[in-house]
Parts: sequence; structure tokens; C-alpha cells
Amino acid sequence: MIRWMTVIIALLLLSYPAAGQEPAAGKAGQDGEPYIYTDWECFTTESTHGGLINDHIFYIKVDGEKVWFATEGGLSMYQNGQWTSWTEDDGLPWHVVSSIAKDPTTGDLWIGLFGYGLARFSGGYFEHFTQMNSGLLNDVVYGVTVEGDNVWVATTAGISAYNTVTGNWRVYNERNAPMEEVWTYSAMANDGKVYFAVWGGGILEWDVATQSWTDYLDPDGEMEIDLYRDDGLVHVITTSAYYIDHTLWATTYFGLSRYDGRNWRGYMDIDSGLPSNFLNFVVARDGNSNVTCTDKGVAMLMDYASDTWVTYARPSGDAKTWTAYVMAGNDTLRTVPTNLSLPNHFTIATDIQGDDVWIGTGHGVARGIGKEFWSGLKPVESGKEQRGGFSLFNIFKKKE
Amino acid sequence: MRPAYIASWLVIGLCAIVGDIPVVAQTSSTADTVTYGKTPEEYYPYSRFQNPYNKFFIDTLAYPGYGRHIPEPDHIDSVNIGFIGPIIRSISESAGGPEDIPYRVGQRTVRWDGFYASPLAPWGIKMLQGAKLAVEQANARGGYRDSIPYNLVVKNDNGQWRASGRALIDLAYKDSVWAVIGSMDGANSHVLIRVALKIEIPVMNTADTDPTFIETNIPWVIRNITDDRQMSYLLADYAYKKLGLNRVAALRESDRYGRMSIDEFRDASTRSGHPFLVEMQYQEGDTLFTTQLQRIKSMNAEGVVVWGNPREAGLIYNQMHALGMDLWMFCSDRVVSGTFLDTVGPDANKVAAGYPYNPTSKEPKYQAFVQAFQERFGDAPETYAAHAYDGAEMIIEAIRQVGLNRAKIRDALVRMRNYQGVTGRKDLDAVYSNRSPAYLAVLENGHWRFCSRADLFGKTAQADGKMKSKE
Repeated sequence: MIRWMTVIIALLLLSYPAAGQEPAAGKAGQDGEPYIYTDWECFTTESTHGGLINDHIFYIKVDGEKVWFATEGGLSMYQNGQWTSWTEDDGLPWHVVSSIAKDPTTGDLWIGLFGYGLARFSGGYFEHFTQMNSGLLNDVVYGVTVEGDNVWVATTAGISAYNTVTGNWRVYNERNAPMEEVWTYSAMANDGKVYFAVWGGGILEWDVATQSWTDYLDPDGEMEIDLYRDDGLVHVITTSAYYIDHTLWATTYFGLSRYDGRNWRGYMDIDSGLPSNFLNFVVARDGNSNVTCTDKGVAMLMDYASDTWVTYARPSGDAKTWTAYVMAGNDTLRTVPTNLSLPNHFTIATDIQGDDVWIGTGHGVARGIGKEFWSGLKPVESGKEQRGGFSLFNIFKKKE
Repeated sequence: MRPAYIASWLVIGLCAIVGDIPVVAQTSSTADTVTYGKTPEEYYPYSRFQNPYNKFFIDTLAYPGYGRHIPEPDHIDSVNIGFIGPIIRSISESAGGPEDIPYRVGQRTVRWDGFYASPLAPWGIKMLQGAKLAVEQANARGGYRDSIPYNLVVKNDNGQWRASGRALIDLAYKDSVWAVIGSMDGANSHVLIRVALKIEIPVMNTADTDPTFIETNIPWVIRNITDDRQMSYLLADYAYKKLGLNRVAALRESDRYGRMSIDEFRDASTRSGHPFLVEMQYQEGDTLFTTQLQRIKSMNAEGVVVWGNPREAGLIYNQMHALGMDLWMFCSDRVVSGTFLDTVGPDANKVAAGYPYNPTSKEPKYQAFVQAFQERFGDAPETYAAHAYDGAEMIIEAIRQVGLNRAKIRDALVRMRNYQGVTGRKDLDAVYSNRSPAYLAVLENGHWRFCSRADLFGKTAQADGKMKSKE
């Protein structure tokens, strides 16, 4: 009797929402439905008659109505159904483009060149920056982002920052930043922060206001395990970071991490809608949802509170189209067919354009058309919403 | 403190008292029967305290990308295989082409001071010679499909500016190589494989023993050399179980090689109850180590772990003995070299080093390789030459099996899970790193004696990898 009373008292305490803690919610299918992208447009070099310059997509950057694509064979842009591309014949310094950033102030496009530095595309001309003529630490550029007047560049030998007003460069590596390793892989700026995924070095955060660095590492310090799921960054082999709504999303080749400034949450293929732990890239609409590129499809966390996912993948090697898997955590609730027909689901890049979502693969790009899109869970019937509180009812329901 | 936090501990604590649930918040969902890296249980991280939530490198790495659909080229004049290694010794040499350099054989490497652009260059040249020999022999057999020659496209791995990344990009996009052998330095090899992942090109590593090199989950990387993890376990077992030492200090290079490669030895020492008394550092190129050694001496150490390149290790040995420290010295495989022997002299003893294979093997395949190498280059092969030869042979065999498609070549390579090379049988694990047993090189009167685990501990110990403490 005393034992049961103890458990009940403790569970009642647990049901009290803590300050700063997001309310847990119900379950997809019972408490609402996530949005599912069933209608997709697919583009390959062949289908666009060369409009998309190359099918191997490294990066996607939404720029208002325009969408820019970094490919293995040049730079492509899609706008209003039309494709335009640039190669070395058009002045692009090198055809393997790894990343793209837009300067909202000047309208310049900054282009990471894989092995050949950085280019500024402005007024129809390309200006070329290399490690021999600038402060670029290395010509192998993986990521670029714009923060204020600064262009931040993630290179294989550290981080370079170019001030477009003063023309000055700053460089950061193991000598002046908390970098266990210097192999920076992606750069992303938003809301007063600049984040870098550092290969072997976790996530590096630059605070614009304080001009200081913070590093985030895997607390267990071991490569071959994750000791606890939610103790910090899943792993130090990171591939991308995205910061929005004071929430950091970070991909690794061992799972996904979410950090709200106070609590970490880890996601892996064994406990979430991720079809794989091999994660190439993440973008997020907000702190509640994201789009994660994996080697086995694209996973969209649609509602953080209820752990509701919609994951898109080819159900078999010879499938003509991809299937949407609606999932609560690691449980598949149902499958929905889509018309997404790209031949391979190794997804590398993604970006969000309003209600639409773009994904780039090793062979072509696709746009998910978000007609009548909604975020979070949409109630199926009125009166069945259970979004606020981790009730005893839900606990016992889950046990059943 | 948040109420939920307090409540959760309350639940756990009370329930534990009444015996309802175990005090484990999260448990692993992966099978516990397989251990990555053949790690003995006693050396496994946190094994005394907590079962990890998830274990990595257990499931075989897959490449589910599009690459296999890329068609073969219509016409080629040669089948290009890339090579990236530290082969240029000096700045003046870098002005010329690197092609001639590998054939300057027979040079001893004792003249180290400031002479080499990379101290690894003497080994890099051996590595290139091994790969070159394999390619030449394949061409003598008729080349690709009995008509097209294999061609080794050589790039120097200049450690400065992380140049290996750019080198691979040029090899892939300008020289159209189908696979790459490289590199040696841990940092540059990491740079290399990250680039390889983006390009989607197979990399055969034959020389980097950094354990973390393969712990990145890149499905395009194969390593055919036994790494510092395996060598460290054997060294630690030898130090603590065979010799029965308890008080060991460490002195290592301050660069990434010293930092990363000593990791497993340090962890094995700590987890077996023998934490290092102290871990001190030195700079590559240093010549005086008495400050560090005097401190180690004051701590009554019974042994010293020295992790670095052979010249510094040799000087440390000499200065240790000059201070009257007749201690065991435990080192990485790099000290098993002429440079070290020349430095310490013919009477040196009580040095043990891990080694990735048995260079005294009498296996006919190995003996044939040794003879061919000596005939071709006028010098004996060593570990870097032998493993590069095996690596090049594996790539050539993969190309022969599946043709000219990088993804299919990768598939063929990772299928060679038990490849029999001149360096012995390669046992690739789930992340395609060779887990063949390491050897121990023990210095006896200026000569290395190579011992297997069975030689040291008996056959039972070799079979299960577990040994009882000498105590």
C-alpha cells in the first residue's frame, strides 16, 4: 500500500509542468495528425534538359522566390519554373560548389568552392578568394554563412571570417578558439549566433554580442558509445547545425541533438522517426520541428512535444516512389504513398520555402508542395486535443 | 531544482528501496554480445558503471547512395589510382616533381635535424614504393582487362595547410582516379576521408594507426593496418600483466599523433587500475628531455610510455639511462625503425613497442614480396611498404572484379573481410578497419624480437583476448 502511494505521489509531481519545460503532448493519430507531403515535383538534369546543371546536390539555399543549388557540376538557380546555371564557362572559378549564402544587405551571393576557395557572385561577376590571396584558412570550403557584415567560412583547416565593409579577415583555429579539431564542416548564422559543426569537435557557437566562443561536446568523451541519451550532444562527429527559436538542432553521423539552452534531447534510429543515424543536414522551421537529411531518406520531426515524425523513404530498392511513414517515436503508425520519384533516397541537402520543402539527393532534387500546410498536430476531432500536460491518463495509456 | 527532477529521483529512490525497479534510467537497446575494436571488457568505457545507451560501430557500414548507377566511361587510356602520402622531404625538393623521389632509396634517416619538410617522408617513400610495386606487377600481368595499364597518380601530403584535402579533390576531379591510397599523418588522413565522403570515392588507408580515424562512420574508408587500439591493448597487457608493473608515467609528443594515439593505452591503464602517474609532453624536434625525466624519476615510476617519433624516443631512452633510470619503455610502432636503433645503440634493452604485423614471417607470400621489393628498390621493405603493397593489391583486385565504378569498387573492397595479404590475414570489422592481432616488438640487445599474443601469454589468452593479472 505504502509502495503504491509513493508511486502515485511521485507521478503526480511528475505531471506538474516544470518552468521552462515544454509541455509533453499526446500521440499522433490519437491527438492530431501531422502534415504529410504527398505531392512532390522532381527535377534531374535529364528532366530539366540540363537546366539543373548536375544531379549531385551538395547544398540548397532558398532566397525568396529563388532557390539556389550547389552541385558537383556548377551553380543552379530555380525561379518560377525556370532554371539558370553557371559553370566555369560563365566565370564560376570552380565547378564543384559546396555551399551558398546570401547577404541580405548587399544581395551578394557567397559561394563555397570545394577545394578552390570562395567566390562572391555580385553584379553578374565572380570574385575569387583563395588561401593564397585572402585570409581563407583553406581552399576546401564546406560551409559559408553571412552574419551582419561578416562572411563566415567553414574550411577544413578552421574558420575564416571576412568583414565585407573593412575588408579584414579573422581566422580561428585551435590556437584561438576551443577547437578540439579544426575541421569545420558547416556554418549557420541566426539571431545573434553563428554555429559551426566541427568534424570531431562537436558544435562551436560564436556569440556576436559577447564576441566569444562556446563549444558543445559529447559528455561521455567516447567515440564508440553514447552513454546517456539526453546528456548532451550525441557525438562529436557533427555535420550541420541550425539555430532557431533559441533552439539548436545538430546532426551527427550518430544521431540528432536538440538543445533549448537548458535541456538536451538526443534522437537515434532506435528511438525516433530517424531512418538512420547517418545524418547529413538539418534545417528547422522552429524549435518544434525540423527536416533532417539522412542516407536512408528524409525525416521530418513535425511535433517535438508529441515526438511525431513523418519520414520519407523508398520502401525498397526497386520502388518507383517514396513512402511517407507517420511515426510516434520509433513506432510506425501508418504509411502514406507519395508521388516522390527520385531514384535514390540518400538525401544531402534541404531548405524550407514557405510551406514547401526542398530536398537534394545524390541524384536530383525534389520540392514537397505544402498545400494547406499546418504545423504541429492538427486535431482530428474537436475535444480530443491533449496538448498540455503529461497526465496520468497518458502514462497509463502508454503502458497499455 | 525543478519539481519533475526531484520527483523522478524520488520515484527512483523509493522504488529502489522497495525493490520495484532497478536504478538505471536508460538502458542500451543494442546487443551486448559484440564489442567494437575487440576491446576486452575490462578496458571498455564505463564498463564498471553503466551500460551505454547505444553502442556504435557494431553494425556494418552501408553506402545506400546513387553511385552504383553511374556508368563506366567509354574510353580510357589508363586506370588511374591515386596516392597521397608524405613523400617530399625538403622544401627544395618540393620545387621539382615528386616522381623521382621514391627511387632515391637506401638513404638512412638519421640526419633528421631540420632536413625533412615532413619527418614522415622516409616512411612515405616506402609507402609509395610498396604501392608502386603492386601497380607494376599488375601491369606486368597485363593490366586492366589485359589491355589497359594501371597508373599511380602521386600527390605529396604536405602536412601544412591540411593539403591532403585539396590533393584528393584534384585526384578525383582532374585526374579521374578510381580509388586512393593514403595517407599517414592522422590529421591529414581525417581531412582526406571527409573529402572522400563528399566526393564518394574509396580510400584505402595503409599507414594511419590513429584509432579515431575509422570512428567517423564514413562508408568509403578501408584501413588494412592494425591500429593503435589493438597495439595499445597488447602493450598494456604486457606492461601490467606480464611484467607486473604498477607505476607507469607517460611522455608524449604534443601534436595530434601523440594526443590521439596514446588514448587507448591511457584508457586501458586507467580502467585496469593503473592510471598514469603523470602525462607530460614534448615538442617534435626537441632534443632535451631531462626536466620531464627527472620528474618521472622523482615519482618512482617503474615504466615510461613514450609516444612519438623514433628520434625523440631514442634520445629519451638515452637520457633516461644517463639519469640512472633503468625503466621499461613502452612505445608506438614508429620506434621500430633504424633511426631508433641508431640512436640508442646496440646494447639497448627493455623497450617494447606495438607492431601491426609480423615482419619476420616466413610465409611464402611475404617472402616473395620481400624479394621482389629488394630487387626493385634495392632496399628491404618495412611496415609502410608492405601495407601499401597490400592496399594497392586490394584496390587492383576490386577493380578487376567490378570494373570502373567508384561505388562498386568500394563494395568489392569492403567484401574483402578476410583478405590474405603479404602482411597476413586482414580481418575487417564493421567499419572496415583491420582487427588482425597486433604484435609486440621487444628490444633485446639492440635487436627487435617480434612476439604474438600467444607467444607472450599462451594460446588460450590469444583466443579470448582475456588474461588474468599476474598478481
